[in-house]
Parts: sequence; C-alpha cells; structure tokens
Amino acid sequence: MQSSPASAQASASKPATRVGAAREAVAGYGFIAIPMAIFLVLQIGMLFYAAYISLWNWNIRSGPVDFVGLGNFQRLLTQPLFLTALKNTVYYAALWVPLTMAVGLFLAVVVNQKIRGQTFFRSAFYFPAIASSAAITVLWLFIVAPFGLFNEIRGALGLNPLFQLLGYGPHHDWIGDYRTALNTIVVLNVWTTSGTFMLFYLAALQAIPTDVYEAAAIDGASQWQVFRRITFPLLRPAHFFVATVGVIGALQLFDQSFIAGGPDGSPVNSLMTIVLYLYNALFTQINPGYAAAVGIVLFVLIFSATLIQRRLFGREPEW
Amino acid sequence: MEPSSDPVDDARQLTAPDAALRRLQVARQGPKQPVSGHKWRRRIAYVILITYAVLMFTPFAWSVVTSFKTLPDSLNLSFIPQPFTLDAWRYALTELDPNVVVLFMNSLVIASIVTLTNLALGSLAGYAFARLRFPGRELLFLVVLGTLMIPDQLRVVPVYILFNNFRLTVGLGQYVAVILLLAISATSIFLMRQYFLTIPKDLEDAAKVDGAGFFTTFARVMLPLASPALAAVAILQFQGAWNSFFWPVIFLKEQTHYTLPLGLTFFRLSGGFGTNWPPLMATVVIATIPILILYVFFQRYFVEGVAAAGVKG
Repeated sequence: MQSSPASAQASASKPATRVGAAREAVAGYGFIAIPMAIFLVLQIGMLFYAAYISLWNWNIRSGPVDFVGLGNFQRLLTQPLFLTALKNTVYYAALWVPLTMAVGLFLAVVVNQKIRGQTFFRSAFYFPAIASSAAITVLWLFIVAPFGLFNEIRGALGLNPLFQLLGYGPHHDWIGDYRTALNTIVVLNVWTTSGTFMLFYLAALQAIPTDVYEAAAIDGASQWQVFRRITFPLLRPAHFFVATVGVIGALQLFDQSFIAGGPDGSPVNSLMTIVLYLYNALFTQINPGYAAAVGIVLFVLIFSATLIQRRLFGREPEW
Repeated sequence: MEPSSDPVDDARQLTAPDAALRRLQVARQGPKQPVSGHKWRRRIAYVILITYAVLMFTPFAWSVVTSFKTLPDSLNLSFIPQPFTLDAWRYALTELDPNVVVLFMNSLVIASIVTLTNLALGSLAGYAFARLRFPGRELLFLVVLGTLMIPDQLRVVPVYILFNNFRLTVGLGQYVAVILLLAISATSIFLMRQYFLTIPKDLEDAAKVDGAGFFTTFARVMLPLASPALAAVAILQFQGAWNSFFWPVIFLKEQTHYTLPLGLTFFRLSGGFGTNWPPLMATVVIATIPILILYVFFQRYFVEGVAAAGVKG
C-alpha cells in the first residue's frame, strides 16, 4: 500500500497518522456542516430553483401549473410598468453612483490630509450609514416635507428666488411631486452612502506608495496636477471596486422606494423599481413564475453591469 | 522643509489602535509642501470638514429636537422646542399600534439570535477553514464566498415558496424564516477565518500534545484568542439584523410580528399619521439609539466591517 499524497502532505508539517488525518477531516466537516447545509439549500439551491420556477405558470399553493418556457420573460418586456421600473432603476443608478463616488472621493482626499481629528471626521462622515434605511428614510421625508427643515432653511438663507426660477415654490413637496420624488431619494442615498465610499477610497489612498508623490514633488507638480495626473489614475482599482459595488446596490434599490412610496412606488409609480416590481408580482399579482423571471432579469443586469465595468476600469495604469 | 503638523499633538487625541493606523498613514504621507501653502490648504480642509460634519449630524439632531416638540411647533425652524414636551414620547410608547415596545422587543430578539448564530457557526466554520485539513476545503470555501454574489432578490421567490410549504409564512414560523435567512453570513465565516490564520500555531499544538480533541482545542484555546474578531462579527451582524428590511418585509406579515423598521414604514404609509411628526421622530430615535450607542463605543469595528465588506467584493 502506498501512502496517499494527502497524508504525505500532512505528515510533512506534523507527525499525523492516517487515523489522525481522518479524525481531523471528520472534525472539519462537522464544524462546517450547518453553514454549508444552509448555503447549499438557501443559496445555491435557490439559484436553480428560481430558474426552474421562472419557466412555469406557478401556483403559490399547488406548485407548477403549466410550462410556459420563456413566456414569463416575453410578457415582462411588454409590460409598461416593468419598463417604467427599468427606466427608473437605470436613471437612479446613472445619477446616484457617480455622485456618491465623487462625494466619497472628495471626502477621502480631504480626510487624508495631514489634519487633527482625522479619526473624528472619518467617524462623522460614516455616521449616516449606521442607521436603518427605515429610520433614515422617515427622517428624510420629514426634512423634505413641504414645511420641513430643507424648505425652511432655504427660505431663511434667501435661496427661494433661485428655486422659483427652477419652478419650485417655497413649500414644494419634494417627495409628493412625481417629478422630484426619485431625485429626492438620490440625494438621500448620496448623503447616507458617501461615507461608506469614503472609507473604500481612504483605504486605497493610503496604499499608494510615497515615492510616487516624492517624484512628482521633485518635478514641481502642483497639488491639483498631482491629484489629476497621479492620484486619480492610481485609484483605478478603487474606482472599479466602488463603481461595481455602487451599481450592484443601485440596481437593487427597494427600501427607500417602499418606505417613501409604498408597494406601488407612489406618486404615479415615480419610485417604482425593478425589485419593487418583483415584490408586487409576488404579493399583489401572486404570480411566482413571473416574479422569478423578474429576479433572473435583475441578476443578468447586475452580472452584465459588472462585466462592462471590468472592461472599462480593468486595464492596468498606462505608464 | 518642516512637517507642519505636530505628531505629539496628533497622538494625544488618538486611541491606541488608531495610533498604529495613524503611524502607518504618517509613514505614507505625500510630498512636504512649503509651510505657508500647506497651512492655507489645511485651513480650507478644516472649513470643508467641519461644514460637512455639521451637515451629517443636523438631520439626527433635528429628529431628537422634534421628538420633544408639539405638533404645531414641529413645523417651526427652531432648535429649541417651545414648549418642551414629552407628549410625543408618551404617544409613541403607548398609543401607537403596533406598540413600539413590542416592535423594539421583536427587533431585539431577532437581532440577538442572529448575532449568536453567526458567532457560533461563523467561528466554528472559520476555524475549520483556517486550520483543519480535509479534502475539498478550498473548493468549499469558494462556495462560501460565492454565496455573496447571489442577490437576495433572485432568491426571494423560491425561498418564499419553499418556506410556504413548511408553513414558515404563518404565525411564529415567520420569525423562524427571517432568522434562518440571516443565521449565517459568509462575511462572518470569512472574518473569523482571516483572524484564525494570524494566530500562531504553537499554542494549538501544545493543546494537542496534551491530548485535547479538536473541539476542545477550538473552544478552550483558540476561541478566547479570537475575541477581537468575535467582537467585529457580533457588531456587524447585530447592526445588520437590527436594520434589516428586505427579508422582514417579505416574511413578517402580521403587525404584532413587525420589527422597528417595518413599524416605522407602516406608520409612515398608513394615512392620517403621515403628518404627526413628533411621535414618528421619537420612534426614529428609538430605532437608531441602540446602533448609535454601539457606534460610539465600537466605532473601529464598524469601520473594519466596511473593510471586510470591501474584501468580499
């Protein structure tokens, strides 16, 4: 009998017998058993189950009724409400991701200066991210209400003529007007998430080697030139990471829409998103096959967005 | 050229773990500027930082102030309630239906159980993936990390149908459903594994020589050494579960089973209450305070949690 490579490997680091190795393996499987069971059933298994359900006209109690193939997907693309949800979600992602990245990067660069109280400022800027989406959204709705803090402060600062010019009265109902509702959610989420993006950028900034800056200083580059020509391009992997995390999160927009506008994304579906549409397909239309198809479409969207961004940001710096 | 910040002064206001980080940062500082230009830049930085910090805190301060106001006064732009009243708090705690104390307890029970399961399952699995040798270990660990790429929204339909078959969509089963879905996260296993990898093997080997079994070695020797990682997992998971919205809104359909986020949403969406802001702000404060307390004392772990979330991408 030859000893197996595995046990040979084991005996290299520690004098373990074959019985000892077997006992160790049993212990290992035992230690991971419950999490692996949960992951295999509730994560991996559900991936395939979702794909299966999406091909059926499915009854929530009795199960599959008839096989419709890609019928659920075909129907999806002809529903005006789904196209509204798609449009709103893409609009939100296109606006929110760059804005939050810009604010997060700006904060990271400022916090990364040689300043006192760096820890305090870092904590302060991350602070809005710790509260629940429900608490922060309800608080935000109060602030942007017709007689809320935002309208009162802009009045007190004498900014009303400017807002009037843009067509907003002194007591504009930001979340109640379908034209401004989604933008109001964008601003809310920029506020709550820019601190998180700041932390990502801060970690990347602190990983840039000093000698790069020293070379620039010797060449007499200005601060802005250093940022524009050196720091910003060197942050490319961070840009990719933050943009990817941002787009994935943006395409899943749900909490704030639901809390502000209820299941139908009021006013006039201006807050309807893909996930909100899925929620309605499952609980209002009670059509699991159709809802599963929405989930698959979302997954494909997220996956392709990640791939596209890898193409955009994935290249190495050019020097 | 002189570095214009005083390292002694800087070190004074930093806690010990942050001081280490700070030393790292100082070592990696950018080019030294002429003193005058540098000072100017710092002044601008301070103005921006302080303005933005105030902007961050104002909405929360406003919710606290408003919770002590009367309804008509809540529409005034004044940071001092006139008159100061506890009516909104009394109303929030006793009159609201579902009762806010019940909501609080529901949130607390779910978040506590989820924290405990993540600690127990995460540390066991993290230890196994870090230290025990068994066939397929690397592949299985990839499966664990892979679960982070499956969006919850893709799982929601099959999970709902599965749980519906097991009657986890009615009565107390609704809690079981939410807890099962949050019971173990790949992030917990990942954090624990990374920490166990940094612990020297000597201690463990000594225990083995003494004839201790794998579980005894884990529980008696390794677990006590991993307390920083356990703290990070506990805080991350408690915050996540306390704030969670998606799975609770899918499964907790009875008002008496609502958590605080669901209660807040219900109060907001059920008409008539929409404009009675002071009690609503009191509820916002109640929903935020436990996390705020954790944040004040364990700020470092929150920030580390974000870094870990970064790794998982």
